[in-house]
Amino acid sequence: MFQYDAIDAAMVADRNAEFRDQVSRRLSGELTEDQFKPLRLMNGLYLQLHSYMLRVAIPYGALSSAKMRALAHVARRWDRGYGHFTTRQNIQFHWIKLSDTPDVLDYLATAELHAIQTSGNCIRNTTSDPFAGAAAEEVDDPRVWSEVIRQWSTFHPEFTYLPRKFKIAVTASPRDRTAARAHDIGLVLRRNREGRLGFEVIVGGGMGRTPYIGATIREHLPAEHLLSYLTAILRVYNRFGRRDNLYKARIKILVASLGAAEFARLADEAWEAMDRPRADLPDVELARIRASFGLVDFRTLPPRSERFEAAKGDKAFARFARNNIVPHKVPGYGIVQVSLKGIGEVPGDCTADQMEALADLAERYGHGEIRVTHEQNLVLPHVALDDAPAVHAGLAAVGLATPNINLVSDMIACPGLDYCALANARAIPIAQAISETFADPDRAEQVGELKIKISGCINACGHHHVGHIGILGVDKKGEEYYQLTLGGSGAEDAAIGHVLGPALSADRVADAIDKLVDVYLAIRQPQERFLDTYRRTGVGPFKAAVYQDAHQA
Amino acid sequence: MTSPLKVLTANDLAGGQVVFLSETGWSDRYADAWIFEDPAAADAALDAARAATLTLADPYLIDVAAVDGLPVPTSYRERIRALGPTIHPDMGPQAEGGALVEALQQAKGAARSSGRLGLIRRK
Repeated sequence: MFQYDAIDAAMVADRNAEFRDQVSRRLSGELTEDQFKPLRLMNGLYLQLHSYMLRVAIPYGALSSAKMRALAHVARRWDRGYGHFTTRQNIQFHWIKLSDTPDVLDYLATAELHAIQTSGNCIRNTTSDPFAGAAAEEVDDPRVWSEVIRQWSTFHPEFTYLPRKFKIAVTASPRDRTAARAHDIGLVLRRNREGRLGFEVIVGGGMGRTPYIGATIREHLPAEHLLSYLTAILRVYNRFGRRDNLYKARIKILVASLGAAEFARLADEAWEAMDRPRADLPDVELARIRASFGLVDFRTLPPRSERFEAAKGDKAFARFARNNIVPHKVPGYGIVQVSLKGIGEVPGDCTADQMEALADLAERYGHGEIRVTHEQNLVLPHVALDDAPAVHAGLAAVGLATPNINLVSDMIACPGLDYCALANARAIPIAQAISETFADPDRAEQVGELKIKISGCINACGHHHVGHIGILGVDKKGEEYYQLTLGGSGAEDAAIGHVLGPALSADRVADAIDKLVDVYLAIRQPQERFLDTYRRTGVGPFKAAVYQDAHQA
Repeated sequence: MTSPLKVLTANDLAGGQVVFLSETGWSDRYADAWIFEDPAAADAALDAARAATLTLADPYLIDVAAVDGLPVPTSYRERIRALGPTIHPDMGPQAEGGALVEALQQAKGAARSSGRLGLIRRK
C-alpha cells in the first residue's frame, strides 16, 4: 500500500507541532474557546455529549497491520479500550482528553496516521471500495485515484474554506460499495469502447435534511483530466455555493437549484478557462503512485481449495463462508468480510484486543492489509482459501466471526444520543433491539440481503435515507420516536427511501421491522430481495402491517 | 407557575468530562449539582462560568424538576449527559449508582434542554 514520503511525514509533523502549540495556548488562556474551536475541529477533535472525540482519518479505508496496532494502542492508552468505525471509513475515539491530544497525534504519526481532513469545511477523506485490488470486476485500482485526490486535496489552499464540507467517493467496480451517488462527487471508473479509462462524474448527492441522489454531469471524463475537472467543479461550488445558510450550503443544494445541466455548463466553462496541463497530474507522478499499489505477492493456487471445502463440514464455518467470504480476482483467494455487528453489540465498535487480533490475522494470512467499509465493517481483502478456516477460528476467538454480512442484523447505526451532542435520539439501542430480534442466523439467511440504516438525527450520519429500511430518530414532545423509510439504496441502484407513516415509539421499532420482514417473506417472488419486493409492490402491504392497529400509531 | 429549577453544567476544558456547578466548585457528579431556584442567581452563575474560560468549555443551564423529591433534568438528552452512554452502564457518572442515578434512568419525557438550544444558536 501507499507509503508516505518525506514530504507527507513533514506535513503531518508540522501540523501536529502547530496543534500542540494551539492546545497549550488554549489551556493557558491565551486562546478563547471561540478562537480555539475551529482550530481543534480542523484537527479532528470534537466536543461531544460526554467528552472530546478524536476522529482519525483512514484514507480510502485502507489499513495495514501496523496502523491497526497503532489504533489499538490509542484505544487502550488514551481511550477506554475501544474505537468506533464510521460510515466515512474513519475511526472515532469517544473518550479522548484535550490535554492528551497532542501526544495521541504524535503517536499516530509514527504509524503514518493523522486526523487531517476529518472535520471542517474542506475536502474530506475520500471514500473508496474496500475490495480495491481484490475485486474481480474492477477496471482499475480505485486506491490509486483516491491517493491522487488525497495528495491534491490535503491543505489545498483554494478549497480549505468551502461553503461546507465536501466528500468524494471513488469506485471502479459495477457493484458500488462506496455509496458514490450519495456523495458530493461520486466517481465511477470505467473503460469506454476504445478501452480508455474514464470517470462517470456524479455531482450533488448527499444525505442530511435534504437528501439527493447525485446527477451525472459527465459520462466519461478521460481519467488523466481528473484533477483539472475536480478543480473546475470545486471552483463553481466555491463561488456559487451558499454561505448564508448552513442548511443550504452543500453542493447538492446548488446543483438542485441550478439544475444539473446548468451546473455542468458552469463546470465546463471553468474547466475550459483554466490551465489544464498545470492542474492535471503529471504522468510520472501517477506512475509513482500507481507503483505503490498492487504489489501483493500472490501465490499461484488452484481455484478450488480442498481444505476450504472440507472445512465446510463445520456448520459455523460453512455459514461464515456463505455470508462473509466472496470471490477474489486471484484464483484460490477470497475476500473475507469481518462483521462489526455481533448480535446485541454496538455497530462499528471494535475493542483494542480485537484490533490487535485482526492485525495479527492480517499479517499472518492476509498480506498485512485490512480495509474499513462505509457500512462499518472490516475486510481482510487477500486471504488464501486454504487459510480461511484458520482466519475464521481466529476471528471467532475474539468474537468477530458473526456470519451476517448484508443480512438484517448487519446494520449501520450512528453513535446517536449515547455519544453525539447533535443527536435527537439514540440509535445504538434500536440497532441492538433489532439485532436481538433477528438473532436466529437461519432466519436471517432466509430473509437475505436487507440493509437497515439508523440515524439519531436528520444529519443522517447513519445513512437512513438510503437504507432498504431507514430509521430516523426524532424528538417528539420530549420522547424518542423513530420514523421509518422504505426503498432506499446507497448502491448502484441508488434511491432515497419513502416515509412509511407516523413515527413509532422506541419500544415498537424492532417489532415493526419484524412485521415488515414477515410481509416481505409472505409476498416475495423468487430471487427478490426485500428492496426488490418493495419496489414491485409499493408501500401498501408494508404500511398495512405496521399500522394495522391504527390507534397505536 | 413558578419558574423551573436550574442546574449549571459545562465540560471540563482539559479533560472534556461533563461537570456541574456544586456548592464547593465544579464536580463530575450530577448528584453534587447546585439546584438554583432563583433564575437571576442561575444567570449570574452562568455569566461567571462563561468568564472561567481557563477551565471550562460550553457552560449552559439546564432545567430540572423535582421527581419524588429528587432533582431530575427534564430533558432526556440532559439525563443521558448526566448519566453517561446508556449502552455502557459501566461508563460515566452512572457507574456509581444510587437513588439519584436510578431516578434519572427511570425518568421519562420532556423536551430537549432549552439551555442547549440557546448554545447552538449562539455559535
